This record gives sequence, C-alpha cells and structure tokens, in this order.
Amino acid sequence: MTTDGLALATRGLQKRYGSRPALAGLDLSVPSGVVYGFLGPNGAGKTTTMRLLTGLIHPDAGTIEVLGRPFGRGDRHRLFEVGALIEAPSFYPYLSGRENLRSLSATGAPTTPARIEELLELTGLRERARDKVQTYSLGMKQRLGIAAALLSDPKLLLLDEPANGLDPAGIVAMRETLRHLASTGKTVFVSSHVLGEVQQLADVIGIIANGRLVREGPIEQLLLGEGEVRVRVATDQLAPARAALAALVPGEALAAGADQEGWLSVRIEAGRAAEVNRTLAQANIYASGLEAGSNLESLFLELTQAESTVGHEGIFFGIAGGKVSPTTSKPKDGMGGAGA
Amino acid sequence: MRIFAATLRKLVRRPASFVTLGLLTGLLALILIAVSATAGQRSGRAAQEALLLVTFPGAYTLILSFILGLGGLFAVIYGAAIAGSEWNWGTLKAAIARGESRSRYQLLSFAGIALMIGVGLLVAFGVGVAVAVVGANLARVSTAGLGDSKAIGSLPELLGRGWVAIVEEGALGFAIATLARSQLAGIGAGIAVYFGEQFASIFLPDIVKYLPFNAATAAVATSGSSSFGGGGGVVVARLEPNDALIVVVLWLVGALVVATLFTERAEISG
Repeated sequence: MTTDGLALATRGLQKRYGSRPALAGLDLSVPSGVVYGFLGPNGAGKTTTMRLLTGLIHPDAGTIEVLGRPFGRGDRHRLFEVGALIEAPSFYPYLSGRENLRSLSATGAPTTPARIEELLELTGLRERARDKVQTYSLGMKQRLGIAAALLSDPKLLLLDEPANGLDPAGIVAMRETLRHLASTGKTVFVSSHVLGEVQQLADVIGIIANGRLVREGPIEQLLLGEGEVRVRVATDQLAPARAALAALVPGEALAAGADQEGWLSVRIEAGRAAEVNRTLAQANIYASGLEAGSNLESLFLELTQAESTVGHEGIFFGIAGGKVSPTTSKPKDGMGGAGA
Repeated sequence: MRIFAATLRKLVRRPASFVTLGLLTGLLALILIAVSATAGQRSGRAAQEALLLVTFPGAYTLILSFILGLGGLFAVIYGAAIAGSEWNWGTLKAAIARGESRSRYQLLSFAGIALMIGVGLLVAFGVGVAVAVVGANLARVSTAGLGDSKAIGSLPELLGRGWVAIVEEGALGFAIATLARSQLAGIGAGIAVYFGEQFASIFLPDIVKYLPFNAATAAVATSGSSSFGGGGGVVVARLEPNDALIVVVLWLVGALVVATLFTERAEISG
C-alpha cells in the first residue's frame, strides 16, 4: 500500500500490554493538510496510538511513517516537525505559563522567545502568562498544552482530547485555530470521543475499536454512505410498506418493524429520501412523516457496537453504550424532517 | 546546553531547592549555636570536645563533615524529588514527545542538579563557618585558627571531594526515583537505603565500607578527621580517602548509567 501524500501512516501496528492487546494491526492513513478525527470508545487504543506516534512507547509489530518517512526508535528528530498534546497537559506547577513554555522550548526543535509570546496571545493566556500553572483552571492548562504543542510550528499536530476542560468559547476558538492550521497545509490529528465536536471539525475520520481501524475516510462520504431514511406509515400498512421498500434496498437495510413511535427505518443514502417516498406512493402507501439524514453518532455506535466485547469500557453500569440500536435511536444532528 | 540552562532556571525557582538548603543551614546553625552556648558554660572533657566544633582550624573539617552527613540524606531526597517529579508531572514525557533525546535530557538534568548541589554546599559551608565564628565568640573560644593557611589551603580539595560525595548521593536518589518513576517512592526508597546502610555497617563493616554513603564519608576524611552528623558516622572500617573517592565516582557513574539506560528503554505512559 502506498503512503504517498500521507502525513501519517501506520501499517499493521500492534501493541500489547502484558497479555492484553491494545492495538491489533492498526492501518491508519492520514492525508496531508486535513483535520483527521480519530475516534473510538474508551480503551479502544486511541491513546496507545498517540504514544506510539510520539515515540513514548514502541510497537511490538508494524510500521509508522511520519511526514512521509519511516519513524522508528532512532528517528526522534522526525518529531521536531510534530507537535503533540497527549493525555493531560504536562507542566511544572511552580513555574508560570511563560516559564513552562520557555523550559519546554529548550528541548527538541529550537524555538524563539517571540514564538512563545505569539502562542500565549493565540491561546488567550498572555494576561495570565506570569502566573504559576498551579493556579490555572483545567481549561487554561489545556490552552497552555495546545500552545506547547504548537511551539515548534509543527507540520503535524497530534492532539489527544484537545477540547477537555475548555469552555464553549474556548472550543470554538480551538476549532477555528485548528481549521486555520489545516488551511495552511498543516495536518491536524485529533483524538476524541466528543463526536459532535469532531463532526464539526474533521475532514477525515478514522474509527477504532478493539485496537483495529473499523472505518476511515472523508467524513461527508462516510456519513453519506451510512445514511438513514425513516418513514412513518399507518400500522396496518407496515407490512406492505416493507414489501415495497424491499425492492429498493437489500433486506438487511430494512428494519424488521416500526419503533415505538411508529417509525420504520431504511438504511439508505439520505439523498435518496425522495426515492423512498416515491416507492411508497407507487404502492399506494402514503407516509405521514419522513426524516432523512445521518450523523456521526449513529455511525460510531453502529461500528463500535459490532466490535464491542464483554468487559469493554463502553459497557457502563451494565448498559452497553452501543446497545442502543441505530435503527431505533433518534439521531440528533443532520436529521432533517420533511412532512410527506 | 539549552537543557542544562533550562534545568538551572527550573531548579532555582523550585521551592524544594530553598527548603532543602534552608533546612540544612538552619540545622547546622542551630547545632553550632546550641553547642557553643551550652559547652561554653561548662567545664570538663566533654565540653572541651564539643567546643572543637567551633574551634578553628579543626572546625572547617567538622562543619564539612556535618554538611556531608545530613546533606547526604538531603541530597538523596533532592535528587529523588527532581527525577521523580519529571515522571509524576509528565514533563519528561512532554520533552520526549518533542523529539528530545532521553539520555541527554536525563544527564543534563542531573548536571543541573550537581551544580545546584555545589552551590548549596558552598552556601552551607559559608553559613556554617560564619555561625561557628559567632559560636566561638559566644563560648569565648579563640578564632585565631580561622586564618590558618594550611587549613585554608586544604579547603578547595576538601570541598571538591565533598561535592563529588554529595553529588554521588544525589545521583542515587535520582536513579532510585527514575527506577520507581515516582517522586514519593524515590524519596522513600532513598531514605531507606541511607538508613539501611548505616544499620548494616554494624554487622557487615567490610562490605558496607564500599557502599555509597560510607564511601562518600571516607572520601572526604583526608586529614584523618572524625565525622559526625550521620552519613557514615558509625563507620567501623573505612576506606582510604583516595580509594573511597574512586568508589564514590564508580557509584556516581553507575547510578547515572542505570538511570539513563532505564529512561532510554522505558515505555512512557501516564
């Protein structure tokens, strides 16, 4: 498989912690100049991947390419062009924000004092730059962490849950900053489980579950292919409606029956909603409601549900996060309603 | 060089640097003043021996001996605190994720610690001499020996040996905390090793004399002086000073090699 034009690529990446596999052959392809959303449930292997990409841990098998060149144990200089925020921001609590950035700039690629001031301004920390980090809020530490990741003006930015602790205005500012960075040709790799945030931010997404990539591609394309149209018909017309729609989509794309609110779901591109409506009309069935759309949450739950296992962190208080069927859940975003 | 300078800036601003130095000099001053005040009002052999602490030129060696004793323990704690916090706070992780060399980061960080220990040693020694002069006046002991040219001439070598000895003890704390990846565990284990060695010297003097804290004490005993204040104060058998210095350097290098190799190979998470 070629990795030309990719800012980041992993092939067959494997990592075990004792007997537990954290990554089981991860193949990532992150194009240059995009915001890449790296999604996965807790324990799926996102942070392990981030650690591998920054040389903090080493793979048991597989290869990593960073900015078009192999990245192994002896290639730490490759990280001079990479900025990273992994897990929680890491600082000396007794030093100020400015001193922390100054201290960090003594490592890795050389950085000028002017760059530190520029980043303090960018992250809105200039006024608090002289205060000790131990007096910062979580959101301020997160901003400082983003500033630290940007210190050496990296071509590739790796951010692990960058929105953690940020207030709404901070999230918007961060999103705009990351979009701006991507527009200047930099690649931004964002690991997150805040799906709405990723949907607004990312150009391309990769979904990981149980240490494997389960889906990757441009977000619009993925959501288009994972669309859903829901129709509401009279109860006595459910069976004829299913029969009519069976000619349009394969059987497995058609829900077995209506949900509690009377909606029948059809897995089909959102853009084909009119076609669904026409098919029903041609069978003399008139829908009282029709909704078309798709969202990342549905796609995410569907894909990670298929990979979930007993004991997975997605199971919370005995309720599996992915057990809500996408065909019965109500997508929140992107689902446009249309009366029929 | 950038890392070394940054480490110095960090250490200068770190409360642990001042607290450690303050405790050492405070205790030293307290003991010297207390001994001077009480022994000066008594007679007898014990009082005369106690006054040796503030009687120059012998006081030079005794003050240094005290600093090495208690300072050795503080150096272990200080070295462990600095190394351990790099893991606890994730700052080592941040540096490595920027492409910094693990070995270089650790070695230059320790070089910064070694320099701070040197400065601390000089400050503590200066404070000790000043307080001893005050104590001598309190006890009405002559300070004529203060300018003894032979004693003053030997000070650079003594201080140099003392610096190497304390740096070695700091390196042990640094290595232990690196292995433990924890500030608290490093400090605890460092203190345990320090007292464990003193305890073991009662039973295994021929072995213990090669161990780091006893060797450190022996390395500065160039004039056959006695020592006090811990750090090998109960040495039964002692190495020759030059042999001890070699052993100290070996422990120092060994501790740094262990810390560096461990960091180089470590899987860094959390």
